[in-house]
Amino acid sequence: MPHLEIHDLTVSYEKNQPTLERFNLGVEQGELLSLLGPSGCGKTTTLRSVAGFIQPDSGRIVIDGRDYTRLPPNQRDIGLVFQSYALFPHLTVFDNVAFGLRMRRISRNKVRSRVANALEMVGLEAYSKRRPAQLSGGQQQRVALARATVIEPQVLLLDEPLSNLDARLRVDMRQEIRRLQQQLGITTLYVTHDQVEAMSISDRVVVMNQGEIEQIGAPESIFAAPETPFVADFMGFDNHFSAEVIALRDSQLTVEWGGAPIELRWRSKFGPPQRGDRAEIFFRADDASLSAEREANGLAGEVILHTFHGNELRYLVETEVGEFNIMQDSASERYTPGEAVIVQPHTGKWIAIFAKREQPA
Amino acid sequence: MVSRWMYISLVILYGFLVGPFIIIFMASFGANANLAFPPQGFTLDWFANVFERSQFIDSFWVSLRLGLLSTIVSLVMGMPVAYALTRFQFAAAGLVETVFSAPILVPGLVIGFAMLQFYVRLGDLHVMTVLFIGHTAILFPYSVRVISASLRNLDPNVEDAAISLGANRLRGFLLVVLPNMQAGIAAAFVLGFITSFNNVPVSLFLSGPGVTTLPVAMFSYLEYHFDPTIGALSTLLVIFTIALVQTAERLLGLSQFV
Repeated sequence: MPHLEIHDLTVSYEKNQPTLERFNLGVEQGELLSLLGPSGCGKTTTLRSVAGFIQPDSGRIVIDGRDYTRLPPNQRDIGLVFQSYALFPHLTVFDNVAFGLRMRRISRNKVRSRVANALEMVGLEAYSKRRPAQLSGGQQQRVALARATVIEPQVLLLDEPLSNLDARLRVDMRQEIRRLQQQLGITTLYVTHDQVEAMSISDRVVVMNQGEIEQIGAPESIFAAPETPFVADFMGFDNHFSAEVIALRDSQLTVEWGGAPIELRWRSKFGPPQRGDRAEIFFRADDASLSAEREANGLAGEVILHTFHGNELRYLVETEVGEFNIMQDSASERYTPGEAVIVQPHTGKWIAIFAKREQPA
Repeated sequence: MVSRWMYISLVILYGFLVGPFIIIFMASFGANANLAFPPQGFTLDWFANVFERSQFIDSFWVSLRLGLLSTIVSLVMGMPVAYALTRFQFAAAGLVETVFSAPILVPGLVIGFAMLQFYVRLGDLHVMTVLFIGHTAILFPYSVRVISASLRNLDPNVEDAAISLGANRLRGFLLVVLPNMQAGIAAAFVLGFITSFNNVPVSLFLSGPGVTTLPVAMFSYLEYHFDPTIGALSTLLVIFTIALVQTAERLLGLSQFV
């Protein structure tokens, strides 16, 4: 049984426009699960419902077998970390971290040792007498982490904890959060809109869109094999076209590319496809290459634009199927806009996805 | 030569602001029976006269009591309003804010006259009560504005953080929000007190027999006397106000809220 269970959760801010409708999710003991999606997808609503700041219309939230649904937020055993850190500006680092323990009427000696321990875990033992305003953003977020975990909560909730930090610090803090989470073995729900962040930190990722789960799974499987066009788009599959299925064999199907058949992996949430169905085909910019000469399976096109990206060049190529973005090593042969090129597919990482099956007339 | 022009304009501006006061200040030490500049001779008699005249002493205590009382009450009333305006989004928020700033925008004489007409109809109220109600009403918007400013500087999530750590709403407010409002409240207090203490138009209409505020007492004194006593009193008042503002600035950094 999952440690945190969300059953049929329905939340609406406006009548008849539910942000979440009969939403179900389970987080295992000690697991770090990310809710990933664009703003307005319902991920923060889910988190705030678990924290108790949003009262759902219906559904249940259960933690460690105990029904939390009607429990006021201050009686829930939950640690919460905010994007804005939300440290208490008038208190020292020590008093910030001690706040939750004092609310629990823990003896003075225990408070001292547990706060010291928590600050040591985030490497801030030397800063206990400072005020939040005297700390950097990364240090403030560490204090927030220590404050949320020192109470040894059942569940840790993190709401876009790294969004206010600069890019380099974000990578460090990502590792820091993951290390702390694994050391404490704490069940964690992590909300983010950053795909890379979710991939790197999570045991499992839930991709959300418009209040629904698009896909749930290990980071590697979501990255390599998205099940819906939305997930493919979100996971950085830059190129997309649709094509008719001309043959089907177990896990492979065949479509036409430049007048020749190519075989691709497929994923479908709506049962196996059939011959004649339209498949949405996705591939990343580095899963195709350009050549001047026609080889097997090549599709003719014309370079429209190229942009420089350090070690790579990115080309925009127009073909009869559509426009494609293609990355090339900058050491390879260069093409200029207007030049005719052949797009060579590296079909091993391409994926054919079936959106909702068209209803037969 | 922008900086030179700025410098000159500044000197002219300050000249017009401070000049009149320098004249009053110097004249209050003059030995003439009339306020004269440049003063002739030197005496502290006019300062002594301030403390000998009961209308100044009595009205000073009225102003002090009135200022403290109406400021404190306007703060207590303003705090929940400021909290609601900054923390909750509701449809009427804009309207509420406009209504609350009306006393700042409407001329003082109009407010004073309107209040007089209104309170007379309320029946036989004591002059002090009427003054207190009137002053509280004009201070209220200042309280709301200054306290709102201090609340806007505080991340609304800190309250949720306190609650998630086990504090109920009241404790969250008392332990986390209130301490961070302190400077704002103190600033509103100083501003409110000075506004009440210096107010003429509202007090002028609402004062009655035997009960009057210091500025109004000075005003009526001027109608019959033109000796340097008023100069001496003005000097004392300016020193009092500057001391108050300076103390507040030192202690709280008042200027960040105004």
